[in-house]
Amino acid sequence: MALKLYVDRMSQPSRAILIFCKKNGIEFEEVKIELAKGQHRTPEFAEVNPMKQVPAIVHGDFTLFESHAILIYLASAFSEVADHWYPADVRQRAKIHSVLDWHHSNLRRGSAGYNFNTIIALAFGLPLNPNAAAEGEKLLSASLATIESFWLEDGPFLLGNSQPSIADLALVCEIMQIEVADENDRERILGPHKRILKWIEDVKNATAPHFDDIHGIMSPVKERLKELKARVNKL
Amino acid sequence: MTLKVYADRMSQPSRTVILFCKLNGIDFEEVRIDLAKRQHLTPEFKEINPMKQVPVIVDGRFKLFESHAILIYLAGVFPGVADHWYPADVFKRAKIHSVLDWYHSNLRPGSATYVRNSTLAPLLGLPLNPKAAAEGEKLLLASLVQLESVWLKGKGRFLLGSSQPSIADLSLACGVMHLEILDDEDRDRILGPHKRVLKWIEDTRNATRPHFDEVHSVVFKLKEKLKKQRSKENGFGEPESIRKAPLHSKM
Repeated sequence: MALKLYVDRMSQPSRAILIFCKKNGIEFEEVKIELAKGQHRTPEFAEVNPMKQVPAIVHGDFTLFESHAILIYLASAFSEVADHWYPADVRQRAKIHSVLDWHHSNLRRGSAGYNFNTIIALAFGLPLNPNAAAEGEKLLSASLATIESFWLEDGPFLLGNSQPSIADLALVCEIMQIEVADENDRERILGPHKRILKWIEDVKNATAPHFDDIHGIMSPVKERLKELKARVNKL
Repeated sequence: MTLKVYADRMSQPSRTVILFCKLNGIDFEEVRIDLAKRQHLTPEFKEINPMKQVPVIVDGRFKLFESHAILIYLAGVFPGVADHWYPADVFKRAKIHSVLDWYHSNLRPGSATYVRNSTLAPLLGLPLNPKAAAEGEKLLLASLVQLESVWLKGKGRFLLGSSQPSIADLSLACGVMHLEILDDEDRDRILGPHKRVLKWIEDTRNATRPHFDEVHSVVFKLKEKLKKQRSKENGFGEPESIRKAPLHSKM
């Protein structure tokens, strides 16, 4: 049964799913939906996801969107996926659900708000919004602090786990989005959080070489956004 | 040891968890954490949930917060819970996860933001915020359209074309019922055009009576309380400053 992943590597949840599949040896076809080119708004893609968002998957005749639902489905449907990604134990699983839900309203909201309004909006021909960016940064910083003081417990992975789960992938891919921002901003926001930086390294190592592979897009995108910003500043 | 549910019935996700327990005959002790009295900010509650939010459950030594995680956990550990609430089938389950996640980012923040900033805030000791309310309303209206056109598509009475309710129906129906806090005119303006949503609420209510009405009685009490507060300020009792002002002739 063929698996198709409809993704844009610029989308944090898209990256989490790509890395997950590659790490677990799940065969798939990557269908690129380029958001900056408006490809998510085509009637063809609406057949796959009426919410017009990536990531989305088609597995045989089963379609699914929302990245956490996708990660859980893939972990359950493919027997080659090791238990630590989405443990069968109902209490461990419950904790993973709670951090994924927390992520939606906190890290995701803060990070997306900051990055979009600081730089990414330019890729869509939209203006930057410093107020929204400041609000995003506040929530992002608070979320990073909460991950360090609460979710990582004794580490190395979330919930004090000794091996990564789908939650580690989802959250770390989100934090990586800041790689497209200015170095000084990234240093200001991430620099103080040594435990976060170590945790990112641990997730990277646990999913090598796919993590760096999939995140290879960040560098060229950063350069392009830098150029766009310089052009806007000249006006 | 009995399950403890830390909740404030003024919070929609709290209502959903309580409703699920009652429906499934799950024995529990409801511990009220009064948000208006800031009880969620006490050091004692911080021990229960460092995120300072309700609902939270404590099952023996196991603590859990985030209402969707709680619903899934309870469906998993209590043997009396019928399969349709959280089916074992991996495809049905995935679809339930996707609607719950969509809800989290769309209908829930839209509804909560709009209701709080247009109406409920005074009962939480906070000011109203028309600008935030307008933003919330935008998201709320868009979410109701998506609820009808995507999630309620299909022949079944419930979400995802199902003939039986799941935890997704419970969570989302409670989310829509939160709008009953608004005054009738406002609620009708927002919900009135969505006949399919209204039908689904009725179907969910019928499938879960009498507990649905019992759990939502607090919503109607809040509505009445707010109505009385508003008529004190606007209707027959004008604020002091206006009553004392001299009357000017309009000739």
